[in-house]
Amino acid sequence: MVKKTLEIYSVELSGTKDIDQTDKGDGKEKYRGLKNCFEPKKNHQKEELKKELDLDDHKLSIKELEKKYGTNIITGLSSTQAAELLAQNGPNALTPPKETPEIIKFLKQMVGGFSILLWIGAILCWIAYGIQYSMNKSSSLDNAYLGCVLALVVILTGIFAYYQEAKSTNIMATFNKMIPQQALVIRDSEKKTIPAEQLVVGDIVEIKGGDRIPADIRLLSVQGCKVDNSSLTGESEPQARSSEFTHDNALETKNIGFYSTTCLEGTATGMVINTGDRTIIGQIASLASGVGNEKTPIAIEIEHFVHIVGGVAISIGILFFIIAVSLKYHVLDSIIFLIGIIVANVPEGLLATVTVTLSLTAKRMAKKNCLVKNLEAVETLGSTSVICSDKTGTLTQNRMTVAHLWFDNQIFIADTSEDHSNQVFDQSSGTWASLSKIITLCNRAEFRPGQESVPIMKRVVVGDASETALLKFSEVILGDVMEIRKRNHKVAEIPFNSTNKFQLSIHKTDDPNDKRFLLVMKGAPERILEKCSTIMVNGQEQPLDKSTAEAFHTAYMELGGLGERVLGFCHLYLPADEFPESYSFDVDTMNFPTSNLCFVGLLSMIDPPRSTVPDAVTKCRSAGIKVIMVTGDHPITAKAIAKSVGIISANSETVEDIAKRLHIAVEQVNKRDAKAVVVTGTELKDMSPEQLDELLTNYSEIVFARTSPQQKLIIVEGCQRQNAVVAVTGDGVNDSPALKKADIGIAMGIAGSDAAKNAADMVLLDDNFASIVTGVEEGRLIFDNLKKTIAYTLTKNIAELCPFLIYIIVGLPLPIGTITILFIDLGTDIIPSIALAYEKAESDIMNRKPRHKKKDRLVNQQLAIYSYLHIGLMQAVGAFVVYFTVYAQEGFKPSILADLRVEWENGNVNDLEDSYGQQWTWYQRKYLEWTGYTAFFVGIMVQQIADVLIRKTRRNSIFQQGLFRNKVIWLGIASQIIIALILSYGLGSVTALNFTMLRPQYWFVAVPYAILIWVYDEVRKLFIRLYPGSWWDKNMYY
Amino acid sequence: MRRQLRSRRAPASPYGYRYRLDDQDEANQNYLADEEEEAEEEARVMVVPDLEEEEEEEGQEEEEEEIEEEKEEEEGQGPPTGNAWWQKLQTVSEYLWDPEKRMSLARTGQSWRVMIRPFAHSLNFNFNVSEPDTWQHYVISLNGFLQGYNDSLQEEMNVDCPPGQYFIQDGDEDEDKKACQFKRSFLKNCSGLEDPTFGYSTGQPCILLKMNRIVGFRPELGDPVKVSCKVQRGDENDIRSINYYPESASFDLRYYPYYGKLTHVNYTSPLVAMHFTDVVKNQAVPVQCQLKGKGIINDVINDRFVGRVIFTLNIET
Repeated sequence: MVKKTLEIYSVELSGTKDIDQTDKGDGKEKYRGLKNCFEPKKNHQKEELKKELDLDDHKLSIKELEKKYGTNIITGLSSTQAAELLAQNGPNALTPPKETPEIIKFLKQMVGGFSILLWIGAILCWIAYGIQYSMNKSSSLDNAYLGCVLALVVILTGIFAYYQEAKSTNIMATFNKMIPQQALVIRDSEKKTIPAEQLVVGDIVEIKGGDRIPADIRLLSVQGCKVDNSSLTGESEPQARSSEFTHDNALETKNIGFYSTTCLEGTATGMVINTGDRTIIGQIASLASGVGNEKTPIAIEIEHFVHIVGGVAISIGILFFIIAVSLKYHVLDSIIFLIGIIVANVPEGLLATVTVTLSLTAKRMAKKNCLVKNLEAVETLGSTSVICSDKTGTLTQNRMTVAHLWFDNQIFIADTSEDHSNQVFDQSSGTWASLSKIITLCNRAEFRPGQESVPIMKRVVVGDASETALLKFSEVILGDVMEIRKRNHKVAEIPFNSTNKFQLSIHKTDDPNDKRFLLVMKGAPERILEKCSTIMVNGQEQPLDKSTAEAFHTAYMELGGLGERVLGFCHLYLPADEFPESYSFDVDTMNFPTSNLCFVGLLSMIDPPRSTVPDAVTKCRSAGIKVIMVTGDHPITAKAIAKSVGIISANSETVEDIAKRLHIAVEQVNKRDAKAVVVTGTELKDMSPEQLDELLTNYSEIVFARTSPQQKLIIVEGCQRQNAVVAVTGDGVNDSPALKKADIGIAMGIAGSDAAKNAADMVLLDDNFASIVTGVEEGRLIFDNLKKTIAYTLTKNIAELCPFLIYIIVGLPLPIGTITILFIDLGTDIIPSIALAYEKAESDIMNRKPRHKKKDRLVNQQLAIYSYLHIGLMQAVGAFVVYFTVYAQEGFKPSILADLRVEWENGNVNDLEDSYGQQWTWYQRKYLEWTGYTAFFVGIMVQQIADVLIRKTRRNSIFQQGLFRNKVIWLGIASQIIIALILSYGLGSVTALNFTMLRPQYWFVAVPYAILIWVYDEVRKLFIRLYPGSWWDKNMYY
Repeated sequence: MRRQLRSRRAPASPYGYRYRLDDQDEANQNYLADEEEEAEEEARVMVVPDLEEEEEEEGQEEEEEEIEEEKEEEEGQGPPTGNAWWQKLQTVSEYLWDPEKRMSLARTGQSWRVMIRPFAHSLNFNFNVSEPDTWQHYVISLNGFLQGYNDSLQEEMNVDCPPGQYFIQDGDEDEDKKACQFKRSFLKNCSGLEDPTFGYSTGQPCILLKMNRIVGFRPELGDPVKVSCKVQRGDENDIRSINYYPESASFDLRYYPYYGKLTHVNYTSPLVAMHFTDVVKNQAVPVQCQLKGKGIINDVINDRFVGRVIFTLNIET
């Protein structure tokens, strides 16, 4: 079995498969899921790995084991031995997935995105300063200073991004942190409780029901121990354990307990044979971490965007460097221009904004029970086009519930909603009275005491799933079940077992006049029917004839066809003369009749779908997301659930359905007629990748049943071959490769194993499929809103860039300084661009198809052109008007500004004449220049207010969207104004910042341009709405 | 008239002026020509109808439109010349600001800012007395600069106004203003009339101090502002004597206020000549010339031309 496991996970490693050796018993075939695809790739690695992972301790006798591990099962290891072994083998814990060292993460933030451009700028600044300094010792510190500012900007944004990421990782870290596990171990002949981490090979440990097994252990003595291996093998049934060697395969044999599985009941003593990463789970986990994480779609989009902006910045920079040099500017000056152009072009604050935006959404999603581990995964969910969902727990409530009843020849439907509140079937029949009595009495399940205040459906029950379902069902309908049982004292009982396939109990009745005993029985319907000679109809016993038997069979088949687990119920009042009150029942000899009973009814149970799921699936449908169910359950059950939640829609048929309807053989059906298909793991196993591709493309409604969790990986890869963005849900350890492989892995927060949560990008705290849908909605919204944020941010880059270009070509005094630009990018613009993340969706985003990975880009041509060339240029004009206004009012009319640059910047010219004949010293001009910076800054700021308002919507009018629905936008606008006011009036006297106190009226000069921008965009949106699909729509909608 | 207005705008472009600074020699000839030309044009300019004093904001708005259009004009997209309202607007903009009340002018610093002549790209005066080539350009520069101050020209163009008081000219803001005479001969030994080398040939250089023009600026009444120079750092005796011309070493109030170059066409900035008659030779002497008087600021660190000017003299023999 070790080898088998290996094969399951060797997909990424070697792909070693061997059909013959993995042949197993019925129902275990799922383990071979991946075999076929990789069969031809047998190679030598197999041997190597096999050797490494060989586990044969289960074959050894206790004596041999003691010898092998140098221990004694009575006295255990000595403390010194244990300490030595601990030092030698390391602690008994899984090595967490390799984490990038913090410093690397930090450095990555420092050089990622635009940072590298800014570093180049900073270094160029220092070089320029160095050259200036070597030529003239008293040269101004401006360049060195600017270099420092640029470096500071990179470092600060880097620290910020790092902090944001660390914060979101921390959420996960706290989530991951488990209560330190304790283990009861025998050492130095004493029982000690030690942290499970300190266990070493050879330790003798004791486990009891409820414990997590602390390491791989070979069981030495066992008392009724059952374990839940589902996280390892996917088997949902509890597995009995014993100390005997039962199977060659370590995973199959009963005398091994696996690390991290749970002991459900009983007690056992075992010897630790593997610890930490050498455990089976540890090996699987480390293999799973070998599956590379795919780049998230949003990461690709942002990279694409960085490339665009970086490309524009560098090419404009170099172009103008060349122009400047050929215009006979000094090379050093040209370098400074280059820096200015780069700084103007790069939206320094944008990446930080994106991070904040994503983490805001992550927070919002966490509130809706989607815990996002990887920030970028927030958006991935939005672009998801296929969801491979588990059934149990995700689509269903993960508890058996009574769904149907059959008595009086009639099928009744029970309420399966989460609270059972609305049981509407006819309860007046005498048959129901008898049936309810059987349900109540023939049941060993009990509520844990002390839960009177808890709603019935939420109470904790001791007992198996079906009995729990019956108990809760009867408690809801009849009231206090325990009281009824008390009144009907139980005198004898035969519990359910797999040979009998029935359960029986004998009770005194609660009717004091009736001295008869009541025998009640439930079990597999066909077995129950065999024991009956009569049937109760409308409270009257009738002989069981052929027609009633047929009715029974029809009902049984019908309920079974719904994928439900059916139980039959019968009873018999024991005649008082034969069984007096003092009669002693003996369950071993069965001194009472178990035939010729009276059949009362059938009752069927199912793990019902969560009530929110059908709605969620419909939403997915309309959102163009394909929902594929992948389950280990029986195809019939799977199909029934798929139908009830809408994964297979009401009017679509599978090939089998068509065959049945037309009464023809399955082979004769045209496969194209069927929309839905149910594929079992066995069929999947025999499919080639091409066949799987065909299957995935041809059918819109697919259910995979009887699959192993491992086969999920094949399904995921199949979907990804169709260019789909795949979301996968999973909970088991062996789901982790699929979770990693998926574009977004979603682990279950309640049922999920740690390995699954580690591998996943997102954790569903309530295990509810509907939460995925809200996640999708949020993801799509954030994509739209990021578009708006980016469009907003890009716009002002043109207004920042134009001054430099015009400065170089026309020779105006510099309209805006590099540092002032940084104050826009990292000051006034930050909060409004984050505020756009709070924007509500413009239309129902769940009604459109998921975006195409390659076609629907975050930053497309339309967005770039509209932002840069439409709004951006208007903004530049507006800002220049403010600039010219200030200069003109101070005395320099635009006509004399052209080509004034050289004199303007010459420190020796101290009587430069303006348009009115006034004469200006150098410092006066410098001050005016700073006033110009401030004016230009204010001009951009004012127009950015209009910009943020127009970016609220891309298609709708701003009035349709509501001006005040997003309050954060107004907060952002207020922040813009306040920051600008502080910069101008508060810090206006700090020379280094190059801000001056601006005359109040200059603040309003750009207002008409802001209004113009707003009107222009409203017109754009109006035409888009009026003429969908037109040239305008195609080119103006971003 | 409108055509004339426009032609008058042409010399107002920065080119003419900058020439003067960069290329003293040639520009100095042009300077006079410019002034004359302007003066002629000015004479032909008709009085533009009264512009009511406007609210500041109104004015500003109009100005703003104007600027827009001017910018367009710059880019060669201006409306056709024949367009009446365009010209009207231009006329308006020319006289929009009120120089007296300085409504559209926002210069905050109403303080004395001074500059010296000859202008030689730097404030270090290095020359060798025995090598005329080293000081010839100073002489040319000064000579050129003083062309506009020639007595004949001043007498012809300007009026002799009473000293010791402002020369206030009421009337419409767009009306041409008269200018007070400042004759070259006021500068005596530094006028270049008697000594055409302005003392450079004898190692006794003349340096002219002039105040930067500020529209509407009026020095405080009372004691006139005096100029005084001394060694900035080092031995005070490095400069043993300085003569000032005019002898009062001050700027007379009659040259104020200045009404701006559009109307105050022939305005001649008053000068104070400093004649360094006995300076230590063969070493750099840092000189600081300060204005002294009531309410004069002369110690601003950022702007070293407020109320003072600092230069070095290095006279070699």
